[in-house]
Amino acid sequence: MFHKILIANRGEIAIRIIRVCREMGIQTVAVYSEADKDALHTQLADEAICIGPAASKDSYLNMERILSATIASHAEAIHPGFGFLSENSKFVEMCQKCHVAFIGPSADLIQKMGNKSEARKTMIEAGIPVVPGTKEPVHEAQEALEKAKEIGFPVMIKASSGGGGKGMRVSESEEDFMDNFNMAQSESVNAFADDTMYLERYVQRPRHVEVQIMADKFGNVVHLGERDCSIQRRHQKMIEESPCCAISEELRQKMGETAVRAAKAVGYENAGTIEFLLDKSGEFFFMEMNTRIQVEHPVTEWVSGVDLIKEQIRVAAGMPLSVSQDEIQITGHAIECRINAEDADRHFMPCPGTIENIHIPGGNGVRVDTAVYNGYTIPPYYDSMIMKIIVHDRDRKSAIDKMISTLGELVIEGVKTNIDFQYELLNNEDFQSGDITTHFIPEHYEDME
Amino acid sequence: MADLKKFFKKPNRREETANTASVPEGLWIKCPKCGETVYKEDVVANAYVCPKCHGFFRMKAKTRIRQIADADSFQEWFCGMETANPLNYPDYPQKVAQLQEKTHLDEAVCIGEATICGEPVVLGVCDARFLMASMGYVVGEKITRAFEEATKRRLPVILYCCSGGARMQEGMVSLMQMAKTASAIKKHSKEGLLYIPVLTDPTTGGVTASFAMLGDIILAEPGALIGFAGPRVIEQTIGQKLPEGFQRAEFLVEHGIIDGIVAREDQKEMLAFLVKLHTKRAGYAAFTDENSLSAFNFYKKKKKKKAAEPMSAWERVKVARDSHRPSSLDYIYAIFDNFTEFHGDRAFRDDGAIVGGVALLDGQPVTVIGIQKGKNTKENLKCNFGMPSPEGYRKALRLMKQAEKFGRPIINFVDTPGAFCGIEAEERGQGEAIARNLMEMSDLTVPVLSIVIGEGGSGGALALAVGNEVWMMENATYSILSPEGFASILWKDSKKAKQAAEVMKITAADLKELKIIERVIPEEQPASEENLEELAEYMKISMKQFFRRQEGKTPEEIAAERYERFRGM
Repeated sequence: MFHKILIANRGEIAIRIIRVCREMGIQTVAVYSEADKDALHTQLADEAICIGPAASKDSYLNMERILSATIASHAEAIHPGFGFLSENSKFVEMCQKCHVAFIGPSADLIQKMGNKSEARKTMIEAGIPVVPGTKEPVHEAQEALEKAKEIGFPVMIKASSGGGGKGMRVSESEEDFMDNFNMAQSESVNAFADDTMYLERYVQRPRHVEVQIMADKFGNVVHLGERDCSIQRRHQKMIEESPCCAISEELRQKMGETAVRAAKAVGYENAGTIEFLLDKSGEFFFMEMNTRIQVEHPVTEWVSGVDLIKEQIRVAAGMPLSVSQDEIQITGHAIECRINAEDADRHFMPCPGTIENIHIPGGNGVRVDTAVYNGYTIPPYYDSMIMKIIVHDRDRKSAIDKMISTLGELVIEGVKTNIDFQYELLNNEDFQSGDITTHFIPEHYEDME
Repeated sequence: MADLKKFFKKPNRREETANTASVPEGLWIKCPKCGETVYKEDVVANAYVCPKCHGFFRMKAKTRIRQIADADSFQEWFCGMETANPLNYPDYPQKVAQLQEKTHLDEAVCIGEATICGEPVVLGVCDARFLMASMGYVVGEKITRAFEEATKRRLPVILYCCSGGARMQEGMVSLMQMAKTASAIKKHSKEGLLYIPVLTDPTTGGVTASFAMLGDIILAEPGALIGFAGPRVIEQTIGQKLPEGFQRAEFLVEHGIIDGIVAREDQKEMLAFLVKLHTKRAGYAAFTDENSLSAFNFYKKKKKKKAAEPMSAWERVKVARDSHRPSSLDYIYAIFDNFTEFHGDRAFRDDGAIVGGVALLDGQPVTVIGIQKGKNTKENLKCNFGMPSPEGYRKALRLMKQAEKFGRPIINFVDTPGAFCGIEAEERGQGEAIARNLMEMSDLTVPVLSIVIGEGGSGGALALAVGNEVWMMENATYSILSPEGFASILWKDSKKAKQAAEVMKITAADLKELKIIERVIPEEQPASEENLEELAEYMKISMKQFFRRQEGKTPEEIAAERYERFRGM
């Protein structure tokens, strides 16, 4: 096991990793930018090394400085957290060359999964379902119809140069296909002087459902249930929960096994997430693989009882997974709300500033991951997420009630936050009934877009 | 801040284990410019330019050759020459032997033949690792032989220069290499052959004072230190701290000493373009598109439209001065392809009031020069409101002489209220500069076409208008002095400028009638951004017709025709 780890990140995830290290008796080295000299991670770690000016590119993205800090402090491993260098294959390669363990998958795997088309190809080869579509452009309506039949209806017709909804049509069936294709194509010709079209399966009322996997050096791969992350604003997740209320036990097994198969197909190691798009019919398609720990990992930790960060460190140190698939039982329901320092009334503009008064709720089944404290000044240079509230209870309804109660008790003064908007979302009837898709926010809160 | 750290308790620790983390040799290198540590692979992939500050790493000769020459095209010449020790300087031969072993080079310069994008050249590269690429006998001899061989085989020479100067260990023998290389370059140049030195960091001393500065076109890498005396020597001599940027490539451009700066990633393409442009062609009208020679139809089509109300001379003066009127550069970019600007008079300063360089007129290489006016204050500060200084005229003459050497026709755009009137201009000989241009232009052996596009202000305009033909745009003016000046001298009242304009005969139509100019370029509407393209197309066709008419004339005939044109005035 490592005796010292450097955490190449900041904010709540850095704190989360430092805490695990403290539990495991591992010494910690924090790195910080000039803007973060008072940050909690800088203070909580055993050692802290300043790695440059405020701008991320000069500090948290400065590979040479981070590696120098690692070597100078005699740390043996780097935990990258999420964001910053966590999916930078070049950094991983450099770590390897300097004999520093990178807590995550190999450079090669990151590269492979980071390239969307290559990842898609790899998944098709492994028999993982992807959103079916044409690989080659189509120009003729008749030829397109044949292709559409292969893909299966409903079909999305997309112009190659399309944008802003122009040259885009959904065809429900063979009967309306020709009309829609011709219309989309002529729109594209008029708007972009281009008749190149593509077809792909139209995923109806899609949910974003992702499966957490964990793999070790010995070829053991387990899945730890799924997370429903459909509540998103402009592709930024806001609420995540586990399990997903829209899938049956049978489907859960199937998705889990598929995710494990996908991970095994690429020889994956460490924590990873396979993102799927789930159709209303229960069909699911591979979207992408995230080769890092994710923001929403606590919901999985709570329903599965597995500490994912601890597992990451164990696996990186060459130890086997501490649990087998049989031992993993999903119990109860967990929800996470991301609390961001942003102004919901002004298009969620980031709102840095000093926290003048803070009251953090607690109690049975409430977990708060944060790096802010009373009097802390949120610097304007980084992500606006300042806190994650996670609750756990026996079922979804109880968990929602608990989250509403918890959010109602949370006080943050000095900066604007999205607490009220989160409170509103939790109280939404459709959310409560589980009728959610990735379009939930634009459909229900048009003015919030 | 909340000092929480003092309250945090530390948990039990694991025992320290043997740590193997270390940085392998050569994984990172330090940037010589910004001092940052950078990943070596990134630097190599980025043409030895720092990915952080864009500063340049010094390059080995072989690496440079790989980057510039086509793959496997380089054949090294003059290998294995022995470095002598004329002063019997202690340990010199041993030092040379050590460096030969370390660098795998036989001396500080590596020369041979190569192709660049298919164009055959003689290519030489100095390597700073070898005694700062100082010039001793072998370096001087290799360069001299390279020019001799290039002269024999009629090849252009490209030299990547970098040097500390003459090689002290070889004493006077080293100093003589300066004269020897310069003499060989003269012979090469007299044959009408092209030489392009590319100055890299650092180029100093006896190399700057010989082969580095004798190019037809002198290029440099950004930020390169270029000078005769080193900055430390100058500081010690004058007892002053030198300003930031002193003797850097940018400083040299500003001071008119070199033609331009080219980023590393663009050098190969630039060199290939310049070499191609200078390959010998017969005549002056090697156009790629012959079909567009249909000016007549174009002109007829234009005639059909309703002509604008005729303007008074004073109105035309105002139109010609309008700051929205297209400038020389507007026409240059609209008419020509691949305009490549060359800077400086090689003596004092690069004058922003005159722009010039080479370009392609439908495939035919031409030299293009223009007096540049700005559209706003910022631009006007740069180009001094279109009022050239002596160094501007000297730059123009330098470029015209260059055109003559390579048999390229010349096109001048004239647009000036007059030559700059100021103390500095007089100190540097404004009158001499204009006079010199009139005399030298009269004798140029390539066709010269001058076009007055706006104001043709007196001698300052004439200094670019000793052409085989002179054209004017319909709303341009060309005058002995401004109407205001005319009214002031003759009528003691500059407010009578309006009346003066009418009597001075300064419009294109008047001057055509006086046979001062050959052609009027019609402006249906006063030239502007909107009709620039149309006007440019018309000019382009007319220019092509003009050069077509020069085909088959001998250089002497071309010079004689120009002489007769002015002889008859």
